[in-house]
Amino acid sequence: MTAAAPDAGRVPGRGSGEPQTLAAPAGLISDVVAITGRAIRGILREPELFIFALIIPVFFFVVQIGALGDVAEQQLGISNYATFQLPISILFAAASTSGGNALVLDIAGGYWDKLSLTPAHRSSLVIGNLFGEMFAVLLYSLVLLLFGFVIGVRFAENTLVGSVGLIALTLLFGIGFAAVSIAVALATGSIRATQSTFIIFFPLLFLTPSALPRDLMTGWFEKAVSLNPMTYVVEAARSFLFGFDGAVIAKGFLAAALFSALTFALTALAFRRRVRMG
Amino acid sequence: MSAIQAIDLVRRFGDVEAVRGVSLQVAEGEIYGFLGPNGAGKSTIVRILTTLLQPTSGSGSVLGHDVVREPTTVRRLIGVALQEAGLDPKQTGRELLTLQGKLYGLKGRILADQITEVTELVGLTDAMDRRIQTYSGGMKRRLDLASALLHRPRVLFLDEPTTGLDPLSRALIWDRIRELRERFGATIFLTTQYLEEADELADRVAIIDHGQIVRQGTPEALKAEVGADVIDVAVEERETGAARAAITELQASGELPAGELRGTREGYTLFVPDGPENLAVLIRGLDKAGVRFGAVSVSRPTLDDVFLAATGGRMAAADQDGQGEDQAHEPEPAGAGRRAQ
Repeated sequence: MTAAAPDAGRVPGRGSGEPQTLAAPAGLISDVVAITGRAIRGILREPELFIFALIIPVFFFVVQIGALGDVAEQQLGISNYATFQLPISILFAAASTSGGNALVLDIAGGYWDKLSLTPAHRSSLVIGNLFGEMFAVLLYSLVLLLFGFVIGVRFAENTLVGSVGLIALTLLFGIGFAAVSIAVALATGSIRATQSTFIIFFPLLFLTPSALPRDLMTGWFEKAVSLNPMTYVVEAARSFLFGFDGAVIAKGFLAAALFSALTFALTALAFRRRVRMG
Repeated sequence: MSAIQAIDLVRRFGDVEAVRGVSLQVAEGEIYGFLGPNGAGKSTIVRILTTLLQPTSGSGSVLGHDVVREPTTVRRLIGVALQEAGLDPKQTGRELLTLQGKLYGLKGRILADQITEVTELVGLTDAMDRRIQTYSGGMKRRLDLASALLHRPRVLFLDEPTTGLDPLSRALIWDRIRELRERFGATIFLTTQYLEEADELADRVAIIDHGQIVRQGTPEALKAEVGADVIDVAVEERETGAARAAITELQASGELPAGELRGTREGYTLFVPDGPENLAVLIRGLDKAGVRFGAVSVSRPTLDDVFLAATGGRMAAADQDGQGEDQAHEPEPAGAGRRAQ
C-alpha cells in the first residue's frame, strides 16, 4: 500500500539551524587501528584461550622429541631434533589462531551488524581482525621460541636474525591461515564450521617433512610432500635454525605468500557475499 | 525534504516475500511508530533503511541520500539500536563507546564529552567501566541506545527498543525517547509490537501486516477511523453460531445499529456507536435468545481495534501465527512481555 504524505509536518525540536551530526570520515587506517585494538584487547582478555592454543603444539613437540629424538640424532644424522621440530610446533600454533572464531561470534551475536552500521570502511572489520591474529601468532611464536631455548634448541648461526626470520615467515603463514578461518566465518556465520577449519591444517602440515627430512622419504608420500606448498614453508623455517640457505628461504616465503594470497582472495569473496547478504 | 522515504520497497528471501511494496515518508523531527506483530516485516524494513540489507526492488532514502547508492553518507546521518542489542561482552561500556565513537570519526575532547553526555542520558555512568557481560538486559539496551546517539544522529532507528524489558526499564526507555526528541529534535523511526508504546510515543503510526502497510496516520485519526465504540463479547465455541445469529437478528430488527461484527478467538467484536447504551441491548438480546456468553466489555477503540479492522485479526493472535514464519525469513526473535489491548 502506498502511504500518503505525512500529515504531521514538522514537529517541535530540530530547526533548520540545528547542528549537523558529529560523524566524520575517520579514514581506513584509523578504522583498522581501532578494530585491531579491540581484537588485541579481546585476545588479552582471554588468556585461557591463549594457553589452550599452546597445549597441543607443545604436546606434539615434546612427544615427537621423546619418540624420535634419539633415533633421528643417532641414525639419521639430525644434529638436534628439538631444533628440527621447533618450526613445526610454531607453525602448528600459528594455525591455532582464532580470528574466525572472534568474527563469527560477532556475526552470531549481532555485533558485526552494529559495527557495519557505522561509516567505517567495512574491510577494516576484517583487516583489524587479521592484525589481531598476527598479534596472537607473534605471542605464540615468542613463547614457543623461549620454550625451545629452555629445552635445548639452538640456532646454528645468528640467533636474533634467525628468530626474526622464523617469526616473519610464521606471521605470513599464520595470517594466511587466519584468513581461511575468517572466510569460513563470513561465508557461513556458523560457529561450528568456523571452528572446524582447524582440520585442514592437519594434511597441510603433516604431509610435509614434519618428522623427517624430505630426502629420507620415498614413494607416494614423498611425491605428496613435494607437491604440498607447506613443505617449502617448513623447510624455510628450518633453514633459519640450521644455517641460512637463501634459496630455501625464498621458496618458503613464496609458498607462504601464495598460500596467503589465495586465502585472502577467498576471504574477499566471502566478505563481499556477507556484505551483499546483509 | 523527508527525513526518511521509502518507495515501493520489496524484499524477497527465496520464495518468501517479506516486504511487499512498502512506501512511507517520515518528516524531520517526527516520531514514527511502525507497529506490527512478529514476522510482519518491520525489522527487514529497518535493515533496508539502515543500509544493512539491499531491497529486491524499490528505493529508500534518508535525508535525501539513497540507502543503496550512498550508504556511507546515510550511516553518518543515522543512529541505530537494533532489536537484539549486539554488543561485545568482553569490552567495558566505555571501551565499546570509545570504539564506536572512533569509527564515527570522533576523537579527543569531543569523543570524551559525547560519551559523558550519552551515558548520563541513559543512566549508565556508574557502570561504564564494567564489562558488558555483567550488564542486565535493560542495561545492554540502554548502552546500545547510548552508542546509537554518540555521534548525534539526525535520524534514529529504534527496532523494538523495549521488547523483553521489564516495565520499569521500558518506562525509562520511553522517557529517553521523548527526551531525545525534545532536546535534539531527532527524527525517530520506532518499530514496536506493543500497542501502548506506539500510542504513547508516536506522532504517526503505520500498521504493518504480512509485509504491507495496512493503515497509516496519527493514533487518534486511526482510532477515529474505526468510528465506533468496541463491544467485546466472549462466547463458548459451541455457542458461536447462535451468538452470531442472535446479534445479526438484533441488527436486522434495528434494536442494535448495523455496526461491523468480527469473530475473534474469544467470541465476537462489535463496532457500534453509543457503546454503553447498546451493550445493554446486546446483553438482553443474547439472553433472550438463550446464548450462553462470558465476559462482555465496552471500550473506546484502541490501535488493536484498528489492527483488527484492517486485517481481520488481533495483534496478539497474528503474533502467535507469525512466529513460525518469522523464523523462516526474518531475523525477529519472538518478543516477550504483555501486549496492550
